[in-house]
Amino acid sequence: MATTWNAIRAGEPARRGNSIPWYLWVAVLAVTSVSIGAHWDVSWHRSIGRDTFWTPAHMAIYACGVLAAISCGYLVLFTTFRKRSPMAASSVSIFGFRAPLGAFIASWGGIAMLTSAPFDNWWHNAYGLDVKIVSPPHTLLMLGVFAVSVGTLLMLVGEMNRALTFGNAALARHLQWMILYIGGLMVVFQMFFRMEYTWDVYLHGAFAYEAMAAGMPTMFAIFWQASRSRWACTWTAAIYTVFVEGAILILPLFPAEPKLGPVFQAVTHFIPPKFPILLIVPAILLDLLWTKVERWKAWQTALATGPVFVLSLVAAEWPFASFLMTKASQNRFFGTAYFQYNMPSTSFDYLRRFVDPEHDWQLWSGLGLAMLFAALSAWLGIWVGRWMRGIQR
Amino acid sequence: MLLIAVPAVAHVGSPDIYAEGNAGPYRLLVTIRPPLVIPGVAEIEVRAVGLGNGQPAISSLEIAPIPLTGEASKHPPVADRMKQSASDKSFYTGALWIMASGSWQVRFTVQGSQGAGVLSIPVPATSSSTRGMDAGLGILLGALGLLLVAGVVGIVGAAAREAQLPPGAEPNASSRSRAWIAMAFTLALMIAAVIGGKIWWNNEAGDYAKYVYKPLTMEATVEANRTLHLKIEDPGWLKSRKIDDFVPDHDHLMHLYLIRQPGLDVVYHLHPDQVAPGNFDLALPSIPAGDYSLYADVVHATGFPETLVTRLELPAIEGRALSGDDAKGTAPPVVSGWNGCPANPAPGAKFRLPDGYTMTWTNASTQPAKTPEIFDFRLLDAAGNPASDMDLYMGMVGHAAFVKDDGTVFAHVHPSGTMSMAALMMAAAQNRSSHAKQDAMAAMPGMEGMDSDEAPVASGKPGRKEAANAPETTGPAKSPVSAIPNAVGFPYGFPAAGAYRIFVQMKHGQTVETAAFDACASAPRPN
Repeated sequence: MATTWNAIRAGEPARRGNSIPWYLWVAVLAVTSVSIGAHWDVSWHRSIGRDTFWTPAHMAIYACGVLAAISCGYLVLFTTFRKRSPMAASSVSIFGFRAPLGAFIASWGGIAMLTSAPFDNWWHNAYGLDVKIVSPPHTLLMLGVFAVSVGTLLMLVGEMNRALTFGNAALARHLQWMILYIGGLMVVFQMFFRMEYTWDVYLHGAFAYEAMAAGMPTMFAIFWQASRSRWACTWTAAIYTVFVEGAILILPLFPAEPKLGPVFQAVTHFIPPKFPILLIVPAILLDLLWTKVERWKAWQTALATGPVFVLSLVAAEWPFASFLMTKASQNRFFGTAYFQYNMPSTSFDYLRRFVDPEHDWQLWSGLGLAMLFAALSAWLGIWVGRWMRGIQR
Repeated sequence: MLLIAVPAVAHVGSPDIYAEGNAGPYRLLVTIRPPLVIPGVAEIEVRAVGLGNGQPAISSLEIAPIPLTGEASKHPPVADRMKQSASDKSFYTGALWIMASGSWQVRFTVQGSQGAGVLSIPVPATSSSTRGMDAGLGILLGALGLLLVAGVVGIVGAAAREAQLPPGAEPNASSRSRAWIAMAFTLALMIAAVIGGKIWWNNEAGDYAKYVYKPLTMEATVEANRTLHLKIEDPGWLKSRKIDDFVPDHDHLMHLYLIRQPGLDVVYHLHPDQVAPGNFDLALPSIPAGDYSLYADVVHATGFPETLVTRLELPAIEGRALSGDDAKGTAPPVVSGWNGCPANPAPGAKFRLPDGYTMTWTNASTQPAKTPEIFDFRLLDAAGNPASDMDLYMGMVGHAAFVKDDGTVFAHVHPSGTMSMAALMMAAAQNRSSHAKQDAMAAMPGMEGMDSDEAPVASGKPGRKEAANAPETTGPAKSPVSAIPNAVGFPYGFPAAGAYRIFVQMKHGQTVETAAFDACASAPRPN
């Protein structure tokens, strides 16, 4: 390296107390806003059906882009143009602009989100409204949200790493909490993206587990490595569980009625999401496993992670999904008696029956594939997470 | 025979729905403009007819979109309140989402000084096109897309070059070269992603194109015994569409118009019989030689109407005499090279009929396109007095066909509007309720003979015509034949500027009269 440890210390401003800079709070607020907005919006479509650009749910989603633009735009302009900027030393350079790496990524996310708005509007005019959820403009929007989340996470990790470098344990501890919180919201977002594949009536088939195995261990491994918390997986999975359960308890408190036909179900209040997947079970086991095998090579840890993640998830979720099909779960807490307005009475969901339940070879070959996905995902996550531990800017 | 099929929707080139009807005691003139894409927004306009002229006052008007048939038709969403114009208190506007292709209805619920009233108007909803992207938006999105691609490359470069450097440290040569390699790799990846995105976009557009309406195709042949054979086939659209589920629409499974091109000087309104699913036969009447456009109206069991189109070149045919509901008309050819429009028709335009009777277009004038209007016609006897021997023609006082001079527009219209009567009956049947028991069909203008209790839709039993011809029939009170007026009005709006011919048919005694009037539509009024 071209510098000395003393020079780094000299370059770091004296302002570093235990306080977390405002732009980090704003970035965290941005991710919180989009997490709430996305679930609100889906509930809106399932309860009311029709919307405009100006629904509160859409405002909460796009507020993410606006907040990211405010916090990161400030950082980029402040760091680039202010002489003797305190952030200059811990910034990277892109096309002549300077800012922490995370700020650039979050800015990219904000621009992607704002680009998706006119694109999506045109898409609706050309092909009709939301024929598919996973459309090119929606994917751009979700990539934007993901980038804002990743950017925020990187800003927090970089800040924490520097705090640790300078021995500021209290600040690092506070930043670790924020990292775990953002991690929890990123789990929420990842599971939101998989919602169509992990509906409770699909949980006796391998595909739902393949969908979760492809990506979720990556997220857990990144959080475990980057946050330096031995219980990172447990905390983030717990935040996901509490967030979704909170939506189940809160959304039905507000009135809503369908404004689109056909209306197969009488809806009087906002319809909440399905009960959260029991990710908390494999999350606890991954925390325990990764603490035990910390010195293993990444590929060895990944190979062990695949079966642990998939088998523990199936062991917990399979019987629990059976419970969700029973009348005992039709209450405010488990929320299996909420049906969207356009759900026909002949649907699997309404009848509380699994769609194409799988057995024997069909099931186990699918779960085998899920274990392979989980191992590869974990390896990727460990690699990225270890890289993030070294981030200083 | 040279057969050319051209695309068509329910009617041809005339997607907007114009209707006049009674919601209980309230008379409404309705315009529904279906969306170009589904799901999409239908725009709705309503004019309360005769307000301040003895008609009851309206306090609120609500609209709801409902599938016309099936389980979903029993579960309407919450209705939307239409907005009353500030400058014109009898004019209301609203918009409704239509979420799926198929047979829908818009239910109008009126509250006013005489209580509640309901009117349902069928809406066949289809995606009819794909919109392109205008240049300005394309440039904006292209520029933002380039910025995003460049941003990813720059971010990856910065991450590889200096993200892990301690604060204040400068990247060395090796980290710089590592960054260049990472950026090149990322650029390649992004180019691949853009290409992949383009392929995805094309696939999505291709999937969407499958939902764009494709009318049933119809092939016409004439056999040696002067039998016209029509073969209907499904070119592929919605799987739910069938060709063996047609229901009678005012007494007939098919209403076939033969219109000679290019002069529109000969018109036949005929009714082929179904001999097998998708196959219709008709013993041809005597027909002069010529190139004919064939427009065949059919209605599916779902209430979804279609107009099937083909062309047929015929030699002079010596066939049977016209009988039953079959009718023909002749008129001077439309003048070619009209420069888009004939002279402004004078009010009271007359058409002299072969038996000495006269039909008049009482409110003839040039109309702006896309503007609802009631086209009024009267039948006068040879002495110029109102015809006194009026009868119903297939259950209605009159039928009209609006045809653009180039054949690109064809709309078979009834006194109640542009909807299929079979679909209208399905919608009306759902509106009968215990507190507002009324004969919704008989309440439609010019529908004095129609009775929804006798709707031939499901049973295929005859409609009201026979009852009108046999006043001794017992049952609900029927309008006596003598009460049938000699005047009829058709709600319609021309879809585009240009020259049109209107064929109007009314019946007196045993004679079905077919008159032709030339009309002009000017450019639509700006919104």
